[in-house]
Amino acid sequence: MLTFILRRLAIAIPTILIIIVLSFLLMHAAPGGPFSADRKLPPEVLANLEAKYDLDKPLPVQIYNYVKRIVVDFDFGPSFKYKDQTVNDLIASGFPVTLTYGFWSFVVATLIGVGLGIVAALKHNSWLDYLATGTAILGSVLPNFVMAPLLVLLFTVYLQWLPGGGWEGGQWQYIIMPVIALATSYLASIARITRSSMLEVLNSNFIRTARAKGLPSRTVILRHALKPALLPVLTSLGLSFVGMVTGSVVIDQYFSTGGIGQHFVNAALNRDYSVIMGVTILVGSLTILFNLLVEILYAWIDPRIRY
Amino acid sequence: MVVDKQKIRKLADNLAESEVRGRSLWADARHRFLRNRAAMTGLVVLTLVVLFSIAGPWISPWNYEDIDWDVLEDVATLGRPSLENGHYFGTDDLGRDLYSRVIQGTQISLMVGLIGSLIAVVVGTLYGAIAGYLGGRIDGFMMRLVDILLAIPGMFVLILLMVMFGRSIVMIFIGIGLLSWLDMSRIIRGQTLSLKQKEFIEAAVATGVRPLTIVTRHIVPNVLGIVVVYATLLVPGMIMAESFISFLGLGVQEPQTSWGALINEGTKTLQHGMEWQLLFPLGFFVVTLLSFYFIGDGLRDALDPKDR
Amino acid sequence: MALLEVSDLRVSFDTLDGRVDAVNGVSFSVEAGETLGIVGESGSGKSQTVFALMGLLAQNGTASGSIRYDGREILNLPEPEMNRIRAEQIAMIFQDPMTSLNPYLRVSRQLTEVLMHHKGMSQRDALDESIRMLDAVRIPEARNRVHLYPHEFSGGMRQRVMIAMALLCKPRLLIADEPTTALDVTVQAQIMDLLKDLQQEFGTAILLITHDLGVIAGSCRNMLVLYGGRVMEYGATDDLFYRPSHPYTRGLLHAIPRIDHDGAQLATIPGNPPNMLNPPPGCPFEPRCDFATERCRTQAPPLEAMNDGRLRACLRAPEELA
Repeated sequence: MLTFILRRLAIAIPTILIIIVLSFLLMHAAPGGPFSADRKLPPEVLANLEAKYDLDKPLPVQIYNYVKRIVVDFDFGPSFKYKDQTVNDLIASGFPVTLTYGFWSFVVATLIGVGLGIVAALKHNSWLDYLATGTAILGSVLPNFVMAPLLVLLFTVYLQWLPGGGWEGGQWQYIIMPVIALATSYLASIARITRSSMLEVLNSNFIRTARAKGLPSRTVILRHALKPALLPVLTSLGLSFVGMVTGSVVIDQYFSTGGIGQHFVNAALNRDYSVIMGVTILVGSLTILFNLLVEILYAWIDPRIRY
Repeated sequence: MVVDKQKIRKLADNLAESEVRGRSLWADARHRFLRNRAAMTGLVVLTLVVLFSIAGPWISPWNYEDIDWDVLEDVATLGRPSLENGHYFGTDDLGRDLYSRVIQGTQISLMVGLIGSLIAVVVGTLYGAIAGYLGGRIDGFMMRLVDILLAIPGMFVLILLMVMFGRSIVMIFIGIGLLSWLDMSRIIRGQTLSLKQKEFIEAAVATGVRPLTIVTRHIVPNVLGIVVVYATLLVPGMIMAESFISFLGLGVQEPQTSWGALINEGTKTLQHGMEWQLLFPLGFFVVTLLSFYFIGDGLRDALDPKDR
Repeated sequence: MALLEVSDLRVSFDTLDGRVDAVNGVSFSVEAGETLGIVGESGSGKSQTVFALMGLLAQNGTASGSIRYDGREILNLPEPEMNRIRAEQIAMIFQDPMTSLNPYLRVSRQLTEVLMHHKGMSQRDALDESIRMLDAVRIPEARNRVHLYPHEFSGGMRQRVMIAMALLCKPRLLIADEPTTALDVTVQAQIMDLLKDLQQEFGTAILLITHDLGVIAGSCRNMLVLYGGRVMEYGATDDLFYRPSHPYTRGLLHAIPRIDHDGAQLATIPGNPPNMLNPPPGCPFEPRCDFATERCRTQAPPLEAMNDGRLRACLRAPEELA
């Protein structure tokens, strides 16, 4: 198992490095970017840049220093736009917010999605199945940017139960709508995947064997069917995770929650490349690590995987 | 949106197998699809939406960019949907006819869906087929690259592209298409690897057919089935991606519009009591995507009947 | 009274493409300790017959008719009651040992859970008994290997595990659904020998389903020939082998490859089994039968007793089939 993890890490770490290098090159090549001459930067910012990015050195040295600074010092450099802010500052202020509502969305989407999917599969072709499947189908066409306004229309404009935006240090009233908006479409996907995978397992030969052994259906489902049915769900969680982090762009914009997405959009509009790249690298690395975690979990659950 | 990859992979295997054996899979599938009520309803609704987006402008006295100065003084009351002044869906907060704007948005969103998935499918199929066919180190390298690209959050890159190269409809097509070919290439690579073992490919190799010709003449036609199905499943994802970008105000540019941009505008006028400006585009968005889902599901069930 | 009496069993499935009648009025009986062979091509309804018997039909399947076990009607019994018959009275081993064991659970768990549930044994007693049973099916070093996962066993060994699992509660009837089809020829013989030995040891009746007539010849006193979900011929194995009275049985026998015949070509039965979505109205074998007449096309033959006690379903008299 340890060698398996090490081998996976040996792939994941270079991948992260490549992403860092790619983003630096992209930033370098961007028209109107910081490194092109046609852009007038405030002198203080320019001074910051020159100090951090060694603009006078040859490109390979610049790349090496950029990567080294991120990997060793976890320093993403100064902002291109604001002279007294670093990318680290922005990440430090936005990331906890995104993590908070992202975590809860993830929990809600996974638990309810898996639950709905299992119920639907066990009660195949019953009204419960139709209800759960219907919910899932409807949910999958309600992405965060559709859910957000609908929720505000319902809870803020009509019912006046919840504030229409803000964060206020993460009090529950401010978390609910972002979480529902972000979770809905992933909840739906997870429910659909769980249902179809559970149905497939229930029709498999080894479940027939378990039933032929006269085990009560509760045992058949919990002991024999659940684990294999959840493996595909596990695989899909990586994608859901990325989607939810990406969704923070909409959530922050719409609910003014001040998460990482807000900084990203602002940075994009301001062409603040170091922030853009910092956030992209961070999210990309998290994605890779998250997928690594999923892979390890998968290998741990499935005894047939050799490592 | 998360496409259920296991299902697709199984479907791909099923299709490729029957393709090679030459069974009447497609005829059976069409029969099953025609009897799937949800899928047929989806098809009818989608056809209606498409027809609406083509023929809709004929019955409207307004176009999508002109401002109706008569309603502008009080859009929240005068801009309500009404048959008398020709604003069937009302107007937006700037006094522009929402009916015509929804039609414009529908055209753009549908086009993004179609062209985007076309790009994704062409690039993904060729890339996957070439990687799978060449095999060995090149395959390993090409797939490693796909892994790396998959780890980069696509939506961020899309936003970045829009910012770096300017917002244009062409950029949206290309950006969205280029972000979505990765999964396609993996599926096609898998199919190609198994096709490579088949006798007719070996025969072609033995008679000295050039590799590129083998890929385009023998491999691609044999994976066409799964490609078509996957393209259908991709369309709603494309539409969503474009709407996502446009919702953020980074997509299509005024006065052109799309569903996402319309929804975004609609959300901003909610507090003035102009719900119609949100609900009309939202309704079109949801209904069309639902149709696509039912069609996609129907296709899958029709082509892989074991999986019920 | 026979241990198992099946009469007029019908099984049908509702599919997307319409109703499929997989089993159409099949009747047979099994005496205690006896072995009955059921032969037929794939799609003849033999597997669905025993699935109905075990209450294991797919969800879209329905069964009607009567299945009496030890005098008691067990067809469509509620699940909790059926669970007391499964494993304790009737156990089953399946065609494909590769996929019929749960790949995610250790063999020990899959064995002991049967004993713990049905016999109320403790974990330790159940494990000891499981190891004894693995010894009985001649798995070497059972004590060490019991904790492995199924994929760490070979195909033949996995089928032995399946057999051990089925015999744990000493059932009176063992259903073996093509137990050797997925295995190598040498392993096939070992498994069949094992089944025969175990039958002697435990006095279990066996319902052996196969499409391999050689397997039937070696182990069954009686046999049942199924085609298109109907009984074609049913009687003593010797009678059917040496004096087949039904064109289909004859076709099957001719299709056995034999070393002592040096004929260059192996006889096959031309055509394919009937499409059960649209079964022919008359005899299901009519389209492939050399002896078919106009009557066979429209009229389904009844199952009738012959002088030697066997049953056959054919409109042509045995003497006419020359």
